[in-house]
Amino acid sequence: MIMPFAYVKPGTIQEAIEALQTDNSWPLAGGTALLVDMRDGVKRPDLLVDIKGLRELDSFTIDSKKGITIGARTTLNFLVENKKLRASCPVLAEAALVTATFQLRNQATLVGNICKASPAADMAPSLYILGAQVVTTGPRGERRIPIADFMIGPQKNALKKGELVVQVEIPPPPKAKMAFLKKQRIKGHDLSVVNVAGLADTESGTLRLCVGACAETPVLLEGTDQLYKKTRDLGKLGEQIADLALSSISPIDDVRASADYRRDMVRVFVKRIVSRICS
Amino acid sequence: MESYKQEIDITLRVNGVEYRDQVPAHMTLLQFLKEKLFLTGTKEGCGRGECGACTVIMDGRTVNSCLVLAVEADRSKIRTIEGEAKRGRLTALQKAFIDYGGTQCGFCTPGMIMSGQNLLERNQKPSRDEIVEAIAGNLCRCTGYELIIQAIEAAASKKGK
Repeated sequence: MIMPFAYVKPGTIQEAIEALQTDNSWPLAGGTALLVDMRDGVKRPDLLVDIKGLRELDSFTIDSKKGITIGARTTLNFLVENKKLRASCPVLAEAALVTATFQLRNQATLVGNICKASPAADMAPSLYILGAQVVTTGPRGERRIPIADFMIGPQKNALKKGELVVQVEIPPPPKAKMAFLKKQRIKGHDLSVVNVAGLADTESGTLRLCVGACAETPVLLEGTDQLYKKTRDLGKLGEQIADLALSSISPIDDVRASADYRRDMVRVFVKRIVSRICS
Repeated sequence: MESYKQEIDITLRVNGVEYRDQVPAHMTLLQFLKEKLFLTGTKEGCGRGECGACTVIMDGRTVNSCLVLAVEADRSKIRTIEGEAKRGRLTALQKAFIDYGGTQCGFCTPGMIMSGQNLLERNQKPSRDEIVEAIAGNLCRCTGYELIIQAIEAAASKKGK
């Protein structure tokens, strides 16, 4: 049972900011996470501010020089189906395709996925390796927040009262091999036990990996470039990156898996992704 | 807070019929369909977007109606299982579900039909993998899915049994 609340669907950003300054108000986009939390009584908002009426949140651009912008209204299925995105930054489409189910992806947004700030958020690791920034607006104007400073803890994001996310901005993706892998309990749809995104650019010697669901936030590994430049042998590189990953994460036991199982899976999935993108 | 309302006027088309109503903001589209319009074909399974029993088509896209507020459906076009058969004539997909035994207890069937129908309208010749992906958000505890997949394949190739 969802408890009663008030609802408003503003037509302008200004009206939305004003409404979001109301005590205990929440922005509503896809609602696929928020309504479940409300049903469970985890969240009991007095006001929902439906942001689907705001055209400013619609942007979706891909430019080889300026990069990619993804507006807050952009659904996951839009990302899956967009041919230009598949060509220029397939890892985002790949991650979107294994997030939730077809019906949920028709509603759920990329921005909602990171605002929910689940450590297991499937869209997050790709945004970390791509160096994404979150653009917000609010009573004190616009802010640009690096994704790692935006997701600050389980179910915690950096938004202040009255603020909302306008879009995510991604710098022009390097011509690199990228991949996203996810370990889940069942073959169908499920939240991740472990997820990993990776990017390898042979020319510049860049290797970036981000591990999700194994700490309070996704973890972007540090020191991967040096290992990538130093180590030629792919098998050895995989082991070294896996060791690095294991020393960077702090997994817990939860309903989906034990911390030990997560550690084992991180080794498997990091090695798998390294062999896929570095070969 | 006074200026924000808990009761909202909505207008929407369901299976081609226009409805106007005032609904509490916390009413889901699923509740609206079942309790206000008495369209009880759409089912509630989990109520949290896991099972797909409440799948309806909203403006051409399938959604879990348990996770859509009725106010969010304002000015939209909704299709439910009740609108599929026209003048008592079943759709090819509905017939195929019967012919192939794609339905047992029947609880998942309305959602399965909506997901399957939506797939066939997006993609006239879906592969088996595409069918599996399209119904991955619809859980069935009876059939083991095989007969449902066969029914959708048969409807796509317009093959009777």
